[in-house]
Amino acid sequence: MTLTPHDGAEAEALVTDRYLESLLLAGERRAVDAPSDAALPPALRRAARRLSRDLVRVHPSFRFEERLAARLAEAAAAIQASESMTRAGQPLGPLPFVPADIADTADMADMADVGDTVAAILPSSPAALAAPPAVAPPAAAPPAAAPAPSPAAAPLSRPLIVGGALTSAALWIAGAAYLAWRRNRSSLGPMARAARIAHATRAAHATRAMDAARAAAGAAAAIHAAPAGSPVPD
Amino acid sequence: MGRPVFRRAGAAVEARQHPRVAYLDRDRALVEAARRDPTRFDALYRKYLAQVYSYAYYELGDHHEAEDATERTFLQALAALPRFEERALPADGEGASTFRVWLFQIARNVVANQRRGHRRHRELPLETAAVIADPLDVEDRAAVRDEALAAWAAVGRLPADRRRALVLRFVEEMSTAEIAGVLGRSEGAVRVLIHRALRSVARDLETGRRR
Repeated sequence: MTLTPHDGAEAEALVTDRYLESLLLAGERRAVDAPSDAALPPALRRAARRLSRDLVRVHPSFRFEERLAARLAEAAAAIQASESMTRAGQPLGPLPFVPADIADTADMADMADVGDTVAAILPSSPAALAAPPAVAPPAAAPPAAAPAPSPAAAPLSRPLIVGGALTSAALWIAGAAYLAWRRNRSSLGPMARAARIAHATRAAHATRAMDAARAAAGAAAAIHAAPAGSPVPD
Repeated sequence: MGRPVFRRAGAAVEARQHPRVAYLDRDRALVEAARRDPTRFDALYRKYLAQVYSYAYYELGDHHEAEDATERTFLQALAALPRFEERALPADGEGASTFRVWLFQIARNVVANQRRGHRRHRELPLETAAVIADPLDVEDRAAVRDEALAAWAAVGRLPADRRRALVLRFVEEMSTAEIAGVLGRSEGAVRVLIHRALRSVARDLETGRRR
């Protein structure tokens, strides 16, 4: 059996992998001597030792660490609040979109369903990420003849919540209209017709029985009220 | 909707034959706690901050960009945590995922997006080299710094996939299986990738030494 060049490369790669494994384990144990493997060329061993020494892990600044921790805590609280609102059945939900600079059709396909939640947490640009959250100035009283603001010029303050409220209002109106339509709609189905006839028949029977009972009661009252010996009405 | 990790066909049957408890993911307790209460995600964040930041820094070559990428990675991970599925069984085969692999998959996507957005010139890791040298010994500091710069430059000249694999192996100290999960390749392909990368770096460093 002969080895193909591909097999040869895999065999060499396996030897390298084994050496790197022992090298990194030695580093973890803080061993003084690096492991030696005669099967691996010395140049490769030297390069591996050099990289394991020089490619160090870089820590971010403490300030960044704490800032991001605070940001994550805020996001976690928002998620918790959103979950509790959802459980309570309140129609609060972010619009299902992913900011363009975060979403990527090729690489982020797996993460697309994350978009709705991420959209609620992340601002839409890296600049916005770096900047502190903007505080809207108090609204001044509009002049009497102020022109209507154009949609492009209108500030997009809290678009998600506004979007959610609009959606819930639209659903409410649609629900009310549907109920009204259902109530006024004349059903043409055979079952509905049969039910309606049965209901009408029962109602007619009940009316007739009530009338008869009233008549009988009237007659009985007349008999009791008449003096003895007077003729009984037919 | 696809998941960040994939289970090979028939893995479920094999998984039932293995007691799952024997292959506990080291982060399982933290992940479960964060799932129940998102505010407890902080523990996972503190544990992996330096790793994610390092990966982003080695990929992007700029501290500010690395901070942006790190921030996005953790925010996305927090949002997607309820959908994370641990698949750390050997029966899950290639692409088996632990929390760390899953987190680095997110980081890889974030970094790729950021790299497309900002095609900036990579900076040399002068600050990094200064950090690893002894701050009191000036001569040693200069020598270590030069060597670190040479190593970084050699790694920086590699094609992107080889550089990524090498950084995950040396900086993050990931196993070949973990790197395969992050990069979405087979273990064999990752081994060959790292071997070739190391050969290129060795050639580069040897040439530099002779000069």
